Amino acid sequence: MILGDLLGTPVHDSDGIRLGRVADARFTLDGDPQQLMAGARLLGLVVSPHSWSSFLGYERTGLTQPWPLASLLRWRHRGSFVVMWDDIAVIGEESVRLRDGFTAYSPALDEAGQQ
Amino acid sequence: MKRVLGVALGILTAIGGFVDIGDLVTNAVVGSRFGLSLVWVVGVGVLGICLFANMSGRVAAASGRATFEVIRERLGPRAGLVNLSGSFLINLMTVTAEIGGIALALQLASSVHYLMWIPVAAVAVWLVIWRVKFSIMENVTGLLGLTLIVFAVALFLLKPDWGALAGQALAAAVPAEETASSYWYYAIALFGAAMTPYEVFFFSSGAVEEGWSIKDLIQSRIDVLVGFPLGGLLSVAIAGCAAVVLLPAGIAVTSLSQIILPVAEGAGKVGLAFVLVGLVAATFGAALETTLSSGYTLAQFFGWSWGKFRRPAQAARFHLAMIICLLIGMAVLATGVDPVLITEYSVVFSAIALPLTYLPILIVANDPQYMGEHVNGRPVNVLGMVYLVIILVASLAAIPLMIVTGAGS
Amino acid sequence: MKTYRPLAPVPPIAGRILDAQLHLLDRQVLDNDGVPVTTVDDVELSAPEEETVIAPGTPAPIITALLTGPVLGTRIFGGRPPSSRLVRIPWKDVADVGVVVRLGVSGENLESGWVERWIRDKIIARIPGGRHDPR
Repeated sequence: MILGDLLGTPVHDSDGIRLGRVADARFTLDGDPQQLMAGARLLGLVVSPHSWSSFLGYERTGLTQPWPLASLLRWRHRGSFVVMWDDIAVIGEESVRLRDGFTAYSPALDEAGQQ
Repeated sequence: MKRVLGVALGILTAIGGFVDIGDLVTNAVVGSRFGLSLVWVVGVGVLGICLFANMSGRVAAASGRATFEVIRERLGPRAGLVNLSGSFLINLMTVTAEIGGIALALQLASSVHYLMWIPVAAVAVWLVIWRVKFSIMENVTGLLGLTLIVFAVALFLLKPDWGALAGQALAAAVPAEETASSYWYYAIALFGAAMTPYEVFFFSSGAVEEGWSIKDLIQSRIDVLVGFPLGGLLSVAIAGCAAVVLLPAGIAVTSLSQIILPVAEGAGKVGLAFVLVGLVAATFGAALETTLSSGYTLAQFFGWSWGKFRRPAQAARFHLAMIICLLIGMAVLATGVDPVLITEYSVVFSAIALPLTYLPILIVANDPQYMGEHVNGRPVNVLGMVYLVIILVASLAAIPLMIVTGAGS
Repeated sequence: MKTYRPLAPVPPIAGRILDAQLHLLDRQVLDNDGVPVTTVDDVELSAPEEETVIAPGTPAPIITALLTGPVLGTRIFGGRPPSSRLVRIPWKDVADVGVVVRLGVSGENLESGWVERWIRDKIIARIPGGRHDPR
């Protein structure tokens, strides 16, 4: 699967209610250490209800400068959340469906881009 | 001592490199029609380019990333491609204008028709890009461009009524015979001439070419903060000469020979010799910068290997792209279209495209992931936001004004 | 304006975090000598292309390769190139992901470098001075 196809796909919950679109895919580097860099495993998806264009990273980091640009861009991504891989039931071309009772986590990363 | 010399050299090349065909033509046109009543725009533009060049230089030094790599990363491929198309086409227009400018300057010096000089100019530009070391290229054209100071000398020798000039500059008003819309159209043109985006592509890529680190930032800051304002004064002198000689005579500038007319009148044959050297050096230097910039933008967007510090064979697509750009510029000029006209359009289109490059740089200059501790300080951000508004307004107003005024005619 | 309740942070993870859009896509790729090779135009995952129902406990997909070439066009204008036309840089060749992506191998042998090599060998290197070192 190509990641570019997944980004922008609508996300629905188990009742078919639309929650937003896939704005990003979060990976963690904890895979096979037998190579130059650890393998990158899909941890979950970032879902944004309003805008799926990753706008310049403001949505997930603690950047507040320059005002008011930062606030504006952050506002475009209000309500976005992370769902973990285990909570994803179906991945398809038209839709990503989540499992019943999925947990929405905060998408925030720290300044260095880490959780 | 070496450091002082380095700073001095940097400042001098920044002054000499500031003026290009866009500044020459726009300032002379504005001076001949509006006197010094638009001189405040040069001030706004120079402060803007200082801010912008300083930020993009800092991004390049702190992260090692040049402007267009950052634009692609932050805007994504789709918006990035729109940005690339706009920036690249305007840059190509500027390349064409600068090569035409070299040819026109050589025509003035030799009385050989400028169309004969165009292939010579293009091949010379290519040879320098192909063979000459980056720092030598920068310094030689910058230093020779300093001879344009003759515009300031000529202005003094013309013994103008300084009080009247100062009055035009300080009490900015639309002259009686001009409309408000053409006043503002030329305000945008002057702003675009001072803040052309290519200068920023070139500045940030040049920082990578010369392998700047954070340590070199202080020097670059001095070069920019001292050199650009002094370069701006040269622009004002060009407008001043036109305001003193051409405005009263009712000559509206449409050719390069009219731009240098006041120098001939004020400083005689010697002045004329200097100004011709200066014209060739300034347009040649800018032709190098814009041609390189067209290679830089393409290579950085698509991730090709680029840079004059590499052998041409190690940056093959980069060099091929520049050769093609020069060929296109030559082909456009061969149709006989007036280079001065291309220049007048190119500065306005530069103003239109400016937000595309300015915004990503402003944002990345605030991102600690790239910048570490060297993110923008608060005063820079306040100024940065003020300029973002100015740039947006100028960009949005340019096309309606162009239509209303018939491109300023 | 609707207010959103604060969400719990993601449970702590041992490995480094990489958000694809934020940290990987569209980054410059350098080879082991620091020479630019391409940009990360897209990323390939070890998951099937067609719609899949994921059984609970299925291991998460991993990144198998960085993609470049025609995939940039389809990412911008839509569509998808056939899998056989994808130009891949295997993930095992990636040495580091920072503000640039560094490879642990030379760019000279990568499939993604053929256009550059073709232009170099057929055009640029044939012009006198094409291999001249400017420094």
